[in-house]
Amino acid sequence: MNLGVIKALVAKDFSLFFRNRFYTLITVLGIVFYLIIYFVMPSSVDEELKIGLYAPVIPPVFELIQAEEGLKFEIFDSDEALKEAITDRAYEAGVALPADIMEKFASGQKPRITLYFSADAPDEIKDAVETMVRELAYLQTGQTLAIEVSAEILGRDMLGEQIPIRDRLRLLLAIMLIMFEMMGLASLISEEVEQGTIRALLVTPMSVHDLFAAKLIMGVSLAFTQGVLFLAIVGGLNNQPLIILTALLLGSVMFTGTGFLIASLSKDMMTSMGWGISALLIYSIPAFGIVFPGTITDWAKAIPSYYLADTIHQASNFSAGWGDTWLNLLILLGFNLIIVWGGIMALRRKFQ
Amino acid sequence: MSFRRISVLLGKEFIHGPKNFIFIWAIVAPIGFTLVATLAFGTFFSEKPNLGIIDQGHSQLVVMSQELDSVTIKEYETVSELKQATENGAVDMGIVLPEDFDTFITQGETVVIEAYIWGESLAKNRTILLVTISDLVRELGVQEVPIEIESVTLGDEVSIPWSERLMPFLVLMGVFFGGLMLPSTSLIEEKQKKTLEALVITPATIGDIFIAKGILGIVLSVFMGIAILVLNQAFGAQPLLLVLVLFLGAIMAVEFGLICGALIKDITTLFTVWKSGGIFLFAPVFIYMFPQIPEWIGRIFPTYYVIQPVVELSLRGGGWPDIAVNVFILISLNIILAGVVMFTTRKSLRHAV
Repeated sequence: MNLGVIKALVAKDFSLFFRNRFYTLITVLGIVFYLIIYFVMPSSVDEELKIGLYAPVIPPVFELIQAEEGLKFEIFDSDEALKEAITDRAYEAGVALPADIMEKFASGQKPRITLYFSADAPDEIKDAVETMVRELAYLQTGQTLAIEVSAEILGRDMLGEQIPIRDRLRLLLAIMLIMFEMMGLASLISEEVEQGTIRALLVTPMSVHDLFAAKLIMGVSLAFTQGVLFLAIVGGLNNQPLIILTALLLGSVMFTGTGFLIASLSKDMMTSMGWGISALLIYSIPAFGIVFPGTITDWAKAIPSYYLADTIHQASNFSAGWGDTWLNLLILLGFNLIIVWGGIMALRRKFQ
Repeated sequence: MSFRRISVLLGKEFIHGPKNFIFIWAIVAPIGFTLVATLAFGTFFSEKPNLGIIDQGHSQLVVMSQELDSVTIKEYETVSELKQATENGAVDMGIVLPEDFDTFITQGETVVIEAYIWGESLAKNRTILLVTISDLVRELGVQEVPIEIESVTLGDEVSIPWSERLMPFLVLMGVFFGGLMLPSTSLIEEKQKKTLEALVITPATIGDIFIAKGILGIVLSVFMGIAILVLNQAFGAQPLLLVLVLFLGAIMAVEFGLICGALIKDITTLFTVWKSGGIFLFAPVFIYMFPQIPEWIGRIFPTYYVIQPVVELSLRGGGWPDIAVNVFILISLNIILAGVVMFTTRKSLRHAV
């Protein structure tokens, strides 16, 4: 391999890319739009059910339940103030207890409890609050429950440290951003094949290896830089930056290798786009599963991008270290060797 | 402009168009998105906690729980399946009901229930699920409810479920993906393969070619818009008016597509434009996804005037008076875009000849 030739080819590709102001502008705009999507998503997770309570006399069980995680009762001085707060949607529901509630409980009568909901409160909240108030009443009247729950937490208990939607989403956005470069590279190679410039290049002293090395460097640099820039801005590199950078680099190589393979399978630009979108959809499934937990199961581990998505997710959201992620990175590296080698071989066969 | 030549060209487009990758994707992608997005966003933004149950006997508790609005119930056969589902986040909590569970409860004997809790489950979901299970057990044990509950609804705003919030995005996707990409890729391909040059030296004018490609785009675009509305069961009470709006939206999509096709030299650039500019086109859907964003922001974007009438007619039960102004703005925008298309057509002609 001739380093000088590779350097010249990379410089040529980059200069062509940046000379085209449109390409440059659109690439920057792309990142900006992804950033906008990130920043408009909710930045925190509301773990508590906030309920307003108007109670001239507070039954002891309502005081006890305050200590329960996931529920927050805010006491109001008047029924009117409670209704106003519910209308303003400051609380998900309001509970108004009658002044004689304890007397009625004691005499075996059924006190009437009023629940307030804003008109846009979902049915599940209405149902849940009713159930909860009923359960509190059972407890207050001393009715015992015939079950004992033996609970086991599966996975890391995230109570109080839930991951906001946007921090789950940033993984998908970053991977999508670098995956688009896979399609860009495949289209670029297809275009060069279609226009015959690759064959023209191959009659110069440049070898096929030089050509692939240059394209690999170009593809990886573009994908990697965009991914790093995006994650750096959205705070995705705050935890375990070295692991995330390594994963992003391996991911960029994986998508570039896939780009080679797509280019080798494509007759023209349109076919390259077709294969590209299909690959993009398959590769995005694992990230999708992380963003929307429970939507996919273990079969996603058969898709190599799972190991990229999982590494970034574990490192950025759970501060996972090298010890937790080395296997993922090793699998990614192994797959990269296969996909890049396969892609180069397939493209070589196409040229020759 | 010759109608005969346009119809010949259109026939050619209808025969060769469906073989095009974009044509297939214009149909597959929006339908796929509809299915995936409904599933994903329904899960992600749903307030309902999910409860997984293994019923080792035939407990009535399962039947009773399925009637609840506050939780989603999923049944599993084995403990390992339940644990797997809980670990993956498919359910917030999984419980195992032992054999003769109902008998023990009615006899007032204490039963131990094994429960698995997903580590990432929200605190409020855990509480709701535990309280719900307790409430069901009490109901099963025929315990008397010690209170009377009166529910009062305050205010007049209506809750919008995520399936409805997403509908504008899906409709816009259906209308714009095919409407924009089909004519643009077709024109770019013809330019790259030099067949456009060959066509303009025949009696067919560049205008005839653009119109033929545009008609195919409009047909596909309207068809997809209708398909998405039907899939979402959101055709509303004014179907003809809705089809008219979709038709005007399809014209806008096609005009954007023709402009792109005339100005852009290769598919890579078109794809780059779609990648970034696509978000510009889809910006108004965020207004419907997140109602807290002020609606005036949406008015900045041309696609707002397509999506507002669609939402008004299909989801809000509106009629002509509610959409008239925006429809006229949409028609005006289409006329302006038609002018831009004519200008770019001439530019294309200069390049082609």
